[in-house]
Formats: sequence, C-alpha cells, structure tokens
Amino acid sequence: MFNETITWLKQQLNNTNELTQKTLEIEDKLSFIYFISSLVDIEMIQKVLIKPFFEMPSEDYFEAYLQSLPQQLDFQTKEEILSNLLSGSVLVALKDKFIILNLSKSHVDQVQEINIEPTIHGSHYGLSESLITNINIIRNYYHQATLTVEKSTVGKLNNLEYALLYDKDKVKKDVLKKFKKRMKTIDKELILSSSQLISHINNRDKLTSYFPTILLTERPDRIIYNIAGGKIIVLMEGSTLAIVAPAVFFDFMVSMEDNYHSFWISNFLRALRYLGLLVCILLPGLYVAVTTYSPEILRVELALTISGSRVGVPYPPYIEVLFMLFFMELLVEASIRLPRAMSATATTVGGLILGTAATEANLTSNIMIIIISAVAISTFVIPINEMSFAIRTVRLALIIFASIFGLAGVVLAAIGFLMYLVNLNSYGEPYLRFYNYRKKKERGEALNE
Amino acid sequence: MSRYYYYLVLVNMFANIITSVPVILFQNRKDGAIISMILAMIVGLICITFFTKFFNSFPGKTLPDMLKQTMPKWFTVIFTFVLVIVWFVAGLITLITYTILLIRFLTPETSLVMGTITILLFVTFGCFMKADKVLYTIEIIFIITMPLIIFIFVKAYLDEHIEWLYIKVAFTHINTFPQIIPFAAVLFLFLGVMNLIIFNQFFTVKQTFGWKQISALTLIGSGVLFTTYFIPVGFQGFENIDTMMYPWISTADSMRMRYGVIERVVFIFLLFYLAFSVISLLIHWHVTIELLKSVFNFNKLKVRGIQVIPFIIITIFSLITIIAVQFINELNLYFFTSYFFVSLLFLVPCLMLVLWIIKRRFKQHDKKES
Repeated sequence: MFNETITWLKQQLNNTNELTQKTLEIEDKLSFIYFISSLVDIEMIQKVLIKPFFEMPSEDYFEAYLQSLPQQLDFQTKEEILSNLLSGSVLVALKDKFIILNLSKSHVDQVQEINIEPTIHGSHYGLSESLITNINIIRNYYHQATLTVEKSTVGKLNNLEYALLYDKDKVKKDVLKKFKKRMKTIDKELILSSSQLISHINNRDKLTSYFPTILLTERPDRIIYNIAGGKIIVLMEGSTLAIVAPAVFFDFMVSMEDNYHSFWISNFLRALRYLGLLVCILLPGLYVAVTTYSPEILRVELALTISGSRVGVPYPPYIEVLFMLFFMELLVEASIRLPRAMSATATTVGGLILGTAATEANLTSNIMIIIISAVAISTFVIPINEMSFAIRTVRLALIIFASIFGLAGVVLAAIGFLMYLVNLNSYGEPYLRFYNYRKKKERGEALNE
Repeated sequence: MSRYYYYLVLVNMFANIITSVPVILFQNRKDGAIISMILAMIVGLICITFFTKFFNSFPGKTLPDMLKQTMPKWFTVIFTFVLVIVWFVAGLITLITYTILLIRFLTPETSLVMGTITILLFVTFGCFMKADKVLYTIEIIFIITMPLIIFIFVKAYLDEHIEWLYIKVAFTHINTFPQIIPFAAVLFLFLGVMNLIIFNQFFTVKQTFGWKQISALTLIGSGVLFTTYFIPVGFQGFENIDTMMYPWISTADSMRMRYGVIERVVFIFLLFYLAFSVISLLIHWHVTIELLKSVFNFNKLKVRGIQVIPFIIITIFSLITIIAVQFINELNLYFFTSYFFVSLLFLVPCLMLVLWIIKRRFKQHDKKES
C-alpha cells in the first residue's frame, strides 16, 4: 500500500518533474518527504520539518510532534493526497504512514488598494487575492459566532475554491437555498474570477437579465454591511471582488460613505445621487421631446435661446442627441481601455471636438453640449459601475419614445422602465419597491432594506 | 388597513376627477349636481365599507376562487365575463380619454394611432405582472406624483384669480333634485375598492377596518369632490362652464408659476395626470387579465413552451382600442362614459348580491363541517 501510493503519485506527476523527494536519515531514524517545490514554503519546511527531525530522540517523538502541528490535514484517498500536493502541501512518509502538512506559500495574500469604489473617508484597502486572507479580513471586521463560512469548489477543470459567507441568524432561508441550488447548477470547465462566476450564475435568464441583480464589490465595509443586512457573500480564490446576493436596486445606489457623514450631509449626497440618476435617464429624452414637440412648455426666453442656438443645425433634435451621445460613449469607452498615460490625450482631444468644434461647425447646438456634459457627469455619480452601465443604455430607449410621442412618450417610457425594474427579482426578493415596514419587523434590526 | 388598500381606493378617486366626471357634473350644475354628489358620496362610502368588510373576512381569496367554490359553473363563467367587460371598458375609457387629451394639448403632431400604440405597449406589459408587482409600481408612481398634484390643488385654492363668489353662486343650487347620471359618475370615484375582487390575493393578513379608516376616506373623498367641482367654477365662472370640454385643463392653464422652471402649470398637470391615469389603467386591466385567467387555462395553448393566450389577449385588446380610438370623438366619449357610469348602478347591486350569497354559502358550509 505504502509503495503503491508513492509510485502512483510519481506516475501522476512524472511529466512535471517538479515532485521533489527528500530523504531524512540519521542513526535509526528514517523519513521521506515529498512536495512540489514551486508551491511550498521552503523555509517553513526547514523550520517545521527538518530541524525538529534531527533534534528529536526517536521516530515516535517525531510522529507525535507532526500529528500535533496545526498545519496537519486529514485525508482518505490517494486522490486527496494528490490534490493536496498540488495545492502546496508536504507529504511526510514515516514508518509506513502518511502525514500531510499544509505548508503552501502564496504570493497573492497582499491586500489590494481600492480603485473601483473609492471613498474619501473609510478604508482605502480592499480584499486580497487569497481566499484565506479575505475570510480573515471579514472575520476580523465581524465578530459574530453566527457568521458561517461554507467552502466549496466550482469549475470542473480548475476546481477553484470559493467560500459562502452569511450570518446564520439574519439570512433568509429560502434565499440561501435558492442561491446554493443555483451555484450547484453551474456546469463550466473553467471559472477564473468572480465576475465570470456572476455571468454564469445569471446564465439562465440571459435575455431578461439586463440590470444587475448581483452586486460585485471590493470594499470590506460594504461586505460587512451586507452580511449584517442578511445577504450572502461569495468570495473566490484569486479574486479581489466579492459577490453580494441578493442585491436590489437601492443597494446599487448606496455609497459606503453615506454611513460616515453626518445625517444632513449624507442625505444631501443621497438626494444628489438620485437626482443625478433622474438627470442622466430623463434629460436627453426631455430635450428631444421639448425641442421637437412642445417648446411652449418652457419660458419664452429659454425656448428662444434653444431654437436660436439650433439655427443652422441641419438635423432634427433626436439625431443631434444620438450623435452626441454616441461620441460621448466612445470617449468614455476609450478612456477606460487606454493605458493611463494615453487616456488623458484621448479625453482632451475628444473634449475639444465635442465641446467647441462641433458647435462651431453647426453640427449641434450649444445647449446640447451642456446637456450632454450634464448627462455624462451624472452617469458617474452612480456608485456601482454595473448599474451605471445599465442606466447608460436606458436613456436611448427614452430618446426613441420621445421622438415618437413627445413628452408623453418620455413619461410613458419612464413608467415602463419603472415597471421593468419592479418586475425583476433577485433570488425571490423584489428588485425595486418602496420601503416595506412589515418585512423589516420580521427580519429584526436589518440594516439593509 | 394596509397602505396598498388606500392606493387602490385613491387612484380611482384621483384619476377620474379631471376627465369626464366634472364635465358630467357641470352639465347638471343647475339641476342637482351638488345634492347628487352628497348622495353619491354616502352611497359610495357604504359600498367601500361593504366590499372592504366582505373581502377582509376572506383574506387572500379572490372573487373567481370564491365563485368556483360556491356557485354553479355556468353562472361563474357568465358572471366573470360580465366583470371582464366592465373592467375592460373602464380601462378603455381612461385610455381613450387620455390619448385624445394628450394629442389635443401636448403633441398635436402625433397621429392618434401612434399615441395609442405607445400607451398600449407599456400598459399591456404592465398588466401581465403579478398583483404584488402591480401594487409596488402603483406605490412608486403614486408617491412621486401625489405631492405635485396636491401642490397644484393648494396653489389653485390660494391663487389670486380664483373667485369665491362664483363658488357661492354654485352653492345656491343645492336645493335641486338629484339626477341619475351625475350620481352614477360621482359614485364611480368611490368604486376603486371593487378592484379588491382580484387584488385581495395580496392582502393575506386580516386588516383592521373601523371608524378611523372610514372617516379618513370620508375626509379625502369630500375634499376631492369639493376640489373637482368648485375649483373650475371658481376660475371659469358658473354660468357658462358647461360649454367647456376640458374644464380642468383650462383651469390648470389659468395658473402660472412665475418663478418656476416650467411656467405653465398645465404641462406639469398633464404629465403627472398621465402617470396617474396609466396606473389607473394598469389596475383595471390587470383585474381584467386575472379574471380571464380564472376562466381560461393559460397553460393549455403553448407553442415551444411559450404561452400563446396572453398574446392573443393583447392583440384583441389592442385591436379593440385602436379601432375604438378612431371612431370615438369627444362628444361620443361623453355619452359613452355616461352610459358606462349608469350601467355601474346595475352592476354594483348585482355584485353585492352575489357576494352576499357567497358569504351565506360559506357559512352554511362551515356549519355542515362543524
């Protein structure tokens, strides 16, 4: 049995040439250790294994010592030995017995700086790429015995480890059940990151899921906030982004900074954000509707200014708006994709073209430029990126209905959009709904509602 | 009561006060409008109490469920179809009124059919949503629009152009005999509660309904009625107000917001009332669809796993609406609406009778079991 296993292991790993075998022998003591040198911490092997071996009086002492080490892992089959070796464990063969010690070394447990959801106050460091470190961070923030961590793997080929974190008392049981079921049905060979996992979780309703129903975040404080609100968190090995589910519309409009400011300031900022949302959805449509159908709704002076600045513009307003929006979207997209050194050039050139030249060439009106910039700025006010991506496309639909049915079209399309949002579900939770007091009572002091 | 119950009642009340109801009232302003209003309000409140008490005693149950359990099948089908027609027509009237109104005042360049299709597109999507989702939508729109509508009402009362003398003149006609059409029209404002025949499935917990709730509704109802009748009189005068097709629009257009972003109040009024009438339409047609669902099995006819019947229903609804919109003008619509209101005077007692029989049969059933 003993030799069989060793030969089987060597067979399995003979292509890699990485399996290292070391023989420890002195007086009547004999032991073999096996490991893959690129995965283990050599210094730890020296300190934990080799040094004690030569200091111990007998093999029995050494075995007892090894069994008591915290890094020691349990195993049953030889396949488990193999997978443990591949994840950086050391196999010790002592007196016809195997002991496995986890002495893996990881270069990725550095905590990363936050760059997607920055805040002025609040922590500037997010998660790391190592799962253990991340769980450690969260446990450090949230000292509750009810915080449950369930580990499992996903991806048939790469068996990537992930952890499900939730507060046992606060989480909704049926939501948890639904989410676990959904995770089990993922049938993919390779899962590389949490963003990819999200798209596979949502895979089933690809056409209808246009708005994000799962939140991705890199902020530990947001993770804690959501755990306390009874949500499920998924952390993945090798990914600095955590998945939060279920996520409703209002979760995407929360910035963590809301909790750090005083009452009036944070309410002001929140109001500003929702106003920005309204502006970026409605303003282009309103411009089209007002200039095409009903300029009389504005004050006479303003109506004259708008039509005055449109003198010489050859196109109807909806083409003007679509044209400018198109270039603005290109500019945004370009500045994301370009390396940082070049993106400044792109924005300057683009800004110049959009700002001055287009008006001087009589392609758009001055008012249009103001509206487009207002829309562009207000899109960036939405704290979670996925939401602002989704919102960006909604206004195109509003422009179309505005050009068909004027202001009434804008209102109708906005109501339609609202109905679409209300009709969405995130794991049985209604996506958009006004504050529900009864539910809050049921759930106790939940922070998120 | 749950706040969603109030939305059902209030939406019907507010959505109808600017369209045909005031026109009907002004037609009868010298013979019985005010006394009809008062009578209709009392009867309306009795209706509200009756329906609420009834559905409250069967939490979570819809009328089609109860009909199936207690009534013979032929009766269930026929009665459901009558209800389907009534609710569909209620929605249709709102839709046509608003389409004509919008095209008359907001976008005269748009064709009538195009406007109707745009409204239909969103409403037909909306009325296939589940009951709770419909209520959530209503709540959001209600909360966004309500403050502005109340603001406009308050502004109207405080406006310098309102002439209280006209209102006093209107009051002098209180001693005339009530008429049937204005009575029916005002009663309709209070019949939003009848939507409970379907929406009761949302109210699964038994609610408290007592004097407090009734007096709140009385207060709101009388305020709404007073506003709908006397504000236009105060602005337009009493003598010739019956010649106006849209007294409320003209009234809103008499107001200016001198320092507002939008100067003419009428546009805000029109747009927010559009939102309001869309949710009213949504409620009525949702009830219609759910009633149809109780008669037809939607799962029976499927092509590649997709239900076909909803699409057939949408097509029928749209066709009827588009054809109706082209044939109906403002005058037709006025008579059409009046007949609809009068027909409700027959329907409501019938429905009450059926509900009473259902309650008796349930009681007998319970006695037998015990």
